[in-house]
Amino acid sequence: MENKIKWETEIKAALSRAQEEKKLILLDFYNPN
Amino acid sequence: MGAVTYPNERVVEFIEKNMVPIQVLFDSQPLSTNFNIKWTPTVITLDEKGKEHHRTIGFLSPEEFIPSLMLGVAKCHFDLEKFNEAISGMEKILKNYPKSDAAPEAVYLRGVALYKNTHSAEPLKEAYKKLQAEYPSSEWARRASPYRLL
Repeated sequence: MENKIKWETEIKAALSRAQEEKKLILLDFYNPN
Repeated sequence: MGAVTYPNERVVEFIEKNMVPIQVLFDSQPLSTNFNIKWTPTVITLDEKGKEHHRTIGFLSPEEFIPSLMLGVAKCHFDLEKFNEAISGMEKILKNYPKSDAAPEAVYLRGVALYKNTHSAEPLKEAYKKLQAEYPSSEWARRASPYRLL
């Protein structure tokens, strides 16, 4: 498995995927600096 | 998190299998305001309707992050009154990550979920005993202390 998380960047897309795949959402707020 | 925890193979595998991951900047609006973000990293578990069930602030190693995510999943089941799923999730934490910071809360909530399912006080008393025996310095041992009287 590739060691990379496939992040969504839009909450709308994440919610849509979560409903479709019957999964919960991991929402990560980060600071790049 | 980005340098150590997120590249970890077991973390990637857990997230891929169980969750939809979304990453946004700390000041991304309206999410930052809606979730009252004041520090990073902040990681929140949401249900499919966008409701929050679990939150952590600060760095977590892979060994702590996975049980924390598992706790988030179990707490979501608990909040939605899916107590059998919640109990199963808590037990997986206790079996696979008994030394993690998530474990004492899992003991406590397992006891509460069992109580909700059976309306017997015994699981609460058992949770108190287990917390006293295995996690005596945890805040959850203190929160369970009234159950010694049951």
